[in-house]
Amino acid sequence: MPKLTIDGRPLEVPPGTNLIEAARRLGIEIPHYCYHPALSIAGQCRLCVVDIEKVPRPQVACNTVVAEGMVVHTETERVLETRKSIMEFHLINHPLDCPVCDQAGECWLQIYYMKHGLYDPRMVDEKVHKPKAVPLGPHVILDAERCILCSRCVRFCDEVTGTSELGIFHRGDRSEIGLFPGQELANKYSGNVVDICPVGALTDRDFRFQVRVWYLDTQKSICPGCARGCNIEVHVSRRRVHHAEGRRVVRLKPRFNEAVNKWWICDAGRYGSAFVDGDTRLQAPARRDGEKTLEVAWTEMIPLAAGRLRGYRADEIGILASPKLSNEDLFLLRRLCDALGVGAVDYRVPPARPGDEDDFLIRADKNANTRGAELVGLGGADSRAILAAARERRVKCLWIFCHDLLASAWPEGEVLDGLLGAETVIFQGTNANPTSAYAHLVLPAAAYPEREGTWTNFEGRVQRFRQALPPLGRALPDWEILGRLLQEVQGAPRPARAEDCFRDLAATVPAFAGMSYRSIGDAGQLVQTARP
Amino acid sequence: MTPSRPQFTPEQQAEVRRLQGLYPDPQGALLPVLHLAQDVFGYISEEVEEYVAGLFGLAPAHVHEVVTFYTMYFREPKGRHIVSVCHNLSCHLAGAPGILDHLRRRLGIEPGGTTDDGRVTLLAVECLCACEMAPMLQVDDRYEGNLTPETVDRLIDQLQ
Ligand code: SF4
Ligand code: SF4
Ligand code: FES
Repeated sequence: MPKLTIDGRPLEVPPGTNLIEAARRLGIEIPHYCYHPALSIAGQCRLCVVDIEKVPRPQVACNTVVAEGMVVHTETERVLETRKSIMEFHLINHPLDCPVCDQAGECWLQIYYMKHGLYDPRMVDEKVHKPKAVPLGPHVILDAERCILCSRCVRFCDEVTGTSELGIFHRGDRSEIGLFPGQELANKYSGNVVDICPVGALTDRDFRFQVRVWYLDTQKSICPGCARGCNIEVHVSRRRVHHAEGRRVVRLKPRFNEAVNKWWICDAGRYGSAFVDGDTRLQAPARRDGEKTLEVAWTEMIPLAAGRLRGYRADEIGILASPKLSNEDLFLLRRLCDALGVGAVDYRVPPARPGDEDDFLIRADKNANTRGAELVGLGGADSRAILAAARERRVKCLWIFCHDLLASAWPEGEVLDGLLGAETVIFQGTNANPTSAYAHLVLPAAAYPEREGTWTNFEGRVQRFRQALPPLGRALPDWEILGRLLQEVQGAPRPARAEDCFRDLAATVPAFAGMSYRSIGDAGQLVQTARP
Repeated sequence: MTPSRPQFTPEQQAEVRRLQGLYPDPQGALLPVLHLAQDVFGYISEEVEEYVAGLFGLAPAHVHEVVTFYTMYFREPKGRHIVSVCHNLSCHLAGAPGILDHLRRRLGIEPGGTTDDGRVTLLAVECLCACEMAPMLQVDDRYEGNLTPETVDRLIDQLQ
């Protein structure tokens, strides 16, 4: 492995490493725009210049690979002077848009100007004007004046999605990013260009003018959109509640995980968080009495629900659990079923249409935790048979988690007969749906950004999502609802935290043996059976 | 007129293959093939870009990049003759502005425009490397220098 020196510090890196990555290992950040570790080298922005001993002129770090004995300086006077000039070039035609630009606060033009620019502008000519606020597709909007022509977005569409919608048209200071006339930027991963655009040229249509980024809080999470479980950050607005029409979850961003999603997430996942603050959120425990729906306190609801569950024979209860529940929830549900002796439990409800899938990230299974449900060991029964038993009045109490059975592959008549056949329908979930309308008892659950938990992705990777927000209204995390019910039914002490449930799970279910929230960490951990 | 679906004849397709064979990477032939397309179809419409992209297995956006980068591809119908007047330094000092004005009046169009009868497209261009004959212009693939309004008139009269 080549040995070299960067800013006086020796290091050894694998051959072929470029100088930006080599310096990163020492914690030295070489400023750059066009370089992105996932994309080919463009050498377009020239900001990454460094001095290399015995080389007469500054060299771009992104396109220089390490060599034995190389001595690199990233902060010589000449390098700093060059960076400053390059910043001046990048900003020659840049509009004074920061006050109205969504990127402000996380813009690499701002950041590097403050670090390396700080010159007196010398331009006396009028700036070149280009198209502004051009929608490129359903999610992304372009401001061509703000673009610094780094070509990251073009390379993303060429190299990652292979869709090649974008190009740099015209020449010199008239060059601009655009689509081939008549095309749209509508591939399934289009939102990623917003993340990799270092400036405010490409921004999210749904985030436009919603809230300033410096008012956002972020939390590590996992996308609930499919069985991949892409690592994400949830960005929430809590300090400016009057912004973004009161939405709390204002955007999702990918979080790097080498083993799961690298730098990317799909658009369905990225723009799929509206349900968290949506109108259909269930916010209070409720009891339906004939035509009337009455909100009740949890202190009333828990004994009520536990009473119903205890009031039936074990074989009169059917449970349709959900593969969207966390491992913790499913484990407590398993314990509750054991306590009640209920065997008619399944989590599989076929979707009306098979989900889309590709050979990149998107999985056909649109549930975050199917693998977890399998491993926790729920689902000895057959969900359709449970529904049939309700129709035939053999199951009298039907407990449904999350599912909208009326939007499933099952015939509507069959579902309705089942829902109407049961004496007691309990619905537990985050949002109301056509199925929940048939429930006699409604248990409102916290959405994933409102709670702690883990999901197991299709590969068997257990991943943690964390709480970014308090639950809406009086909703509670599923594990907490189940813990309270278990306490009511069994008198067992209830877990205080999701982590306690996980500890019990790890101690009980072999697949999870030895795991803890600590060992799962930020990158996730494979269950025993999935480890190489 | 460009037909809605551009299509090379079998002979032209053979020429495309010949051009592609001249380069280590067939993509190198993109510029000459675009010139061929311009000769055949009159100008490079978006449909032609898509057609040529198909011949190279490229995305239309990347052919569009090339076509918009270079000045010698016409993206709109052009006249039967192209008159390009140099307006760079030597020609400027030797009277190019007067020549250009004369052509403006004579043809009734601005640089970049085409006469209504489709006879002439007028362009003002950068140095054509013929300062010794300033002021000069290029008409189709011929250079004409030491211009005066009278010689320009005679040139224009000859164009069909
Ligand atoms: S739009 Fe953004 S990512 Fe694309 S070239 Fe311009 S600055 Fe780079
Ligand atoms: S691929 Fe799946 S997990 Fe990843 S962002 Fe899309 S929906 Fe979410
Ligand atoms: S990062 Fe090296 S030239 Fe842009």
